[in-house]
Amino acid sequence: MPDKKVTIQATRFDPDRDEKPRLQSYEIPFYDESMVVLDALNYIKSHIDGSLSYRWSCRMGICGSCGMMVNGTPKLTCNAFLRDYWPRPIVVEPLNNFPLIRDLVIDMDDFMHKLKSVKPWIIRKQEIPLGGGEHRQTNDQIDEFRQFSECINCMLCYAACPVYGLNNEFLGPAATALARRYNLDSRDEGLTQRLPVIADTEGVWECSFVGECSVVCPKGVDPAKAIQQTKLDTTMRFVLPFGNRE
Amino acid sequence: MPTSWWTRSRHYLLYVVREFTALPLALWLLWLLVEIKRVGDGPGRYSPHGSTAFVVFSVIVLLFALYHSFTFLTLAGTIIHVKFMDRPVPPSLIVLSQFALWAVASGVIAFILIWFGR
Repeated sequence: MPDKKVTIQATRFDPDRDEKPRLQSYEIPFYDESMVVLDALNYIKSHIDGSLSYRWSCRMGICGSCGMMVNGTPKLTCNAFLRDYWPRPIVVEPLNNFPLIRDLVIDMDDFMHKLKSVKPWIIRKQEIPLGGGEHRQTNDQIDEFRQFSECINCMLCYAACPVYGLNNEFLGPAATALARRYNLDSRDEGLTQRLPVIADTEGVWECSFVGECSVVCPKGVDPAKAIQQTKLDTTMRFVLPFGNRE
Repeated sequence: MPTSWWTRSRHYLLYVVREFTALPLALWLLWLLVEIKRVGDGPGRYSPHGSTAFVVFSVIVLLFALYHSFTFLTLAGTIIHVKFMDRPVPPSLIVLSQFALWAVASGVIAFILIWFGR
C-alpha cells in the first residue's frame, strides 16, 4: 500500500532559539511493514527536515545509541516497529531524566561518569604476563555473569527509573548491573575497589525496587535483579563472620 | 520530574501504592505498641479497641501488609541464587519455599497468641 502514511511527532529544541522543547509533526510514507521508528526519523532527516538531530549507529539493537521515548516508553528506536503503533501518531521524545542538548539528543555525561566509577573492566591484583597463558573459565563460571554482560549502555533503564529522575546522585541500574557483571567474574579481583561506590547510600541502597528498569531493558539484563542481589551480598559481607574477607 | 510521574504507567502506580502501604502499617504498629504498654499497666487500665472504624482500618492494613509481603517474598526468587547438587534451584521453588515458611511462621504465631490468650 504505497499511500499508507504514519504521523511522527518529534521533539524539536534549539538551545540558541527555543525556551523549551516543542513537538513537531511529520507525515511520512509507511511503505514497508518492517519499518521502525528510526527509519521514520531517517526519512524525515533525508527528505523533509535535515536539521532534525538524534543519535543512532548500528540499527541492529547492539550499539545502544538510538534510545528515545516512544509514546512515553523508553525504547531503542531501531527496535520499535511502526506497525505496532499505526495508525496512531507516534510521539518520539528524548530519553527522560537526562538534560537535553538538542532535539532528540540528550547529555549522557552523568551516565558516563557513573559507568566509569564502577570500573567496568577486569581488575587483577597482579597481572599475569601474556606468556603465562589465558584465564580459563568453565561454562558455569560464565553463566554466573553472562546475563549482566549483555548490557549495551543504552540508558533506557535510567529513563525508566523514577528514583534516578528524582535523585540523579543515584548510581542507577546499568552501572550497578555492570559492576555486578565484573564482581561475579571469576577472573576479577576488583570487588573491594567497587564496593565504596556500589554499597554507598547513593548506590544500591537508594533503589526502592520500582522494577521498571528491567521491564524496559531491550537485552533482558534485569538490572533490578543485579541491584537486589548486590544489596543481599553487601549485607551478608557486613553481617556474617569473615564476610569482609577478600 | 513532574509530580504526576507516578500516573504515567500502571507499574509506577502499583509501586507508589506499595510504598504508601508502609505508612498505615507504621501507624497500626504504633497503636499496637500503645496497647502493649496499656496491657503492662494491668487489666484495669486495658480496654481493647473494638469500634467498627478501627476494625475496618485493621482489615485495610492487613490487606496492605499482605500486598507488601507478597511483593517481598516474590522478590526472593530474583535475589536468592543457590545451587543444589551443582544445579541452580529454580526461582519458583525458592518463592514457594518463602511462602511456605511464611505460612508456617504465621501458624506458629497464631497458635502462641491463641494458646496463651485463652
